[in-house]
Amino acid sequence: MSTPKHTAFQPKGSEVVVDADFVVVGSGAGGASAAVTLARGGASVIIVEAGPWRDPDDYASSTYGALRDMMDDWGATITMGKALWPVVQARLVGGTTVINSAICVRTPADVFDEWRQNFGIGEGGEGAFAKRMWAWQDRIEGELCVDETGPEALGRSNELALKGDAAASYDGHLIRRYAKGCIGSGQCLQGCRSMRKQSTNMNYVPEVLERGGGVLSCAAVDRVVFEGTRAVGVTGRFIHPQTRVTGAKFTARARKGVFIAASATWSPVILKKSGITNKNLGSNFKAHPGTGVFGLYEDAVDMNQGTTQGWASTRFRRDEGLKLETLSIPLEMAISRFAGGGRAWMERIQKYRHIAMWVHALRARSAGRIDVSFTGRPVVRYSFDETDMRGFRNGMLRVAQLHFAAGAREVATGIHGLPFTLGPDQLDLLANAPLDPRCYVAILSHLFGGCIMGLDASKSVCDLAGRVHGRTGLYVADASIFPDNIGVNPQHTIMALAMDVATGALA
Amino acid sequence: MTDLMPRVGDMPGLQDCEPDAFLLKLRSETTFVTWIGLCAGAVLWLWTPFLTVYIPLPAVMLSANARDRHINGLTTTRIYLLRQAVFLIKMYASMCWGQHPSVRRQFNVAAYPVDPGTFRTT
Repeated sequence: MSTPKHTAFQPKGSEVVVDADFVVVGSGAGGASAAVTLARGGASVIIVEAGPWRDPDDYASSTYGALRDMMDDWGATITMGKALWPVVQARLVGGTTVINSAICVRTPADVFDEWRQNFGIGEGGEGAFAKRMWAWQDRIEGELCVDETGPEALGRSNELALKGDAAASYDGHLIRRYAKGCIGSGQCLQGCRSMRKQSTNMNYVPEVLERGGGVLSCAAVDRVVFEGTRAVGVTGRFIHPQTRVTGAKFTARARKGVFIAASATWSPVILKKSGITNKNLGSNFKAHPGTGVFGLYEDAVDMNQGTTQGWASTRFRRDEGLKLETLSIPLEMAISRFAGGGRAWMERIQKYRHIAMWVHALRARSAGRIDVSFTGRPVVRYSFDETDMRGFRNGMLRVAQLHFAAGAREVATGIHGLPFTLGPDQLDLLANAPLDPRCYVAILSHLFGGCIMGLDASKSVCDLAGRVHGRTGLYVADASIFPDNIGVNPQHTIMALAMDVATGALA
Repeated sequence: MTDLMPRVGDMPGLQDCEPDAFLLKLRSETTFVTWIGLCAGAVLWLWTPFLTVYIPLPAVMLSANARDRHINGLTTTRIYLLRQAVFLIKMYASMCWGQHPSVRRQFNVAAYPVDPGTFRTT
């Protein structure tokens, strides 16, 4: 038995066995933050990550490469509901922090108020829990160099959004991001090869190693191991990231505790496969579904020049559940969203240089469920109700109005049944667009719940310290413990909550 | 797939972007489920002209003009599952086409370096 620094894929043969005070499953925003907090507290830590460890030189540049090398299951996870919407999650050391836009938003005080009122969690926005979370966020912002993108790296899409914002009074702002001197290479979604984005594989995971911890990568956890009700480790098998060949069995033994931070889809699955029978496990799954609206401008926009996401508005967050943002996606991803095929499609594609894509994310009230498929993977059961569909459509209208305020000639919504483009005098078509989710191209980013925390063990999976009810030494420290979605980008809240749970485990 | 993205004016079509090599690579690298999804989309394209252009023949037997109307009709059909199946093909056709250097030049976008596919082994 040993504690190696880093062990990647091991072919079939003898079992790999490691031990530490704590084993942390997952290395994204939750797992890495929990692990580094435990390591800073003097504990020995092993991080177990299902994906490979890729450094910036290993990152793909193309969308194809990013799907192959970074996404969970080639990005093929989709919602099983009325509409089949993709669920965006990465699978590599650093998790989704490697492929997101590194947007840093402090947890709004009203979210803590809601958690207190609706779930009895904390003491509201004025209470000790909220203050503790914000203190963690202060610290994270310093460590991960949070800053606004400079004007030289914004690019024209973000500049147009600022212009539209000034005209339409959306109270927008430049986005604060975990990025050190962003140069606007427009490669956030494929991983920042410029090494500006502060994903957790660049900082917290290496710090865990420097503090004597270890990492098992390409190591897919099958289940948590218990002695009685006490979690004493995890076991699984190495999976080769290219060939998907199954390798050696591994066991990571934990003397003090096991942290599950494998994401809102995978954490419930691992707990279910480990024999946790809590009826709430997998339920209360929520998300911020979003979609983009293209604005077509007279002059070239070249949206891939400049930072991927530089502008946002939260003006409509409280009343309409909307967050609006710019989002530049690669050429090959953008054109697949244009309606049509054949010559009609190719003629539309010729407008690519003149489009800017801006998006909305909705704080949807609909709740879904995570189940386990026969192959052992998550099944995301999720559908919108009519209220959410109205909010979703309204978000697209808000984005379209912003485009026109910025000077767009037309907008393209991608809604099935509507003309490919709409002019400023055709927004009533968008306002009255069908409410069938199958008419929309959307994605689920920002995933929450499945192992929610709460005071009442009959209505939750974990307590407020992330401890799984009915077990000892088993913690959950990712977005799956959120009792509700929060209406803003969740990375900052996930990190703070994971650090808080880890601090509690050290006590 | 090539029907999806024909040459238009001086813009390259998918046939100019080495689609065979792309598909061979995709087949060897992607998951079984994704590949099956693509194959299912291709089968649907082949056998559904009767739904789009009202001709009871396989798509390969249609005229170029009818095939173009067929593929456009499939991507905009009211039948959701059919539309989604073809969207998968469209997504991968977009990748093959959009990552090709000749296309990227056309749109003033820098050519992609080779995706290394590497990772830490120790």
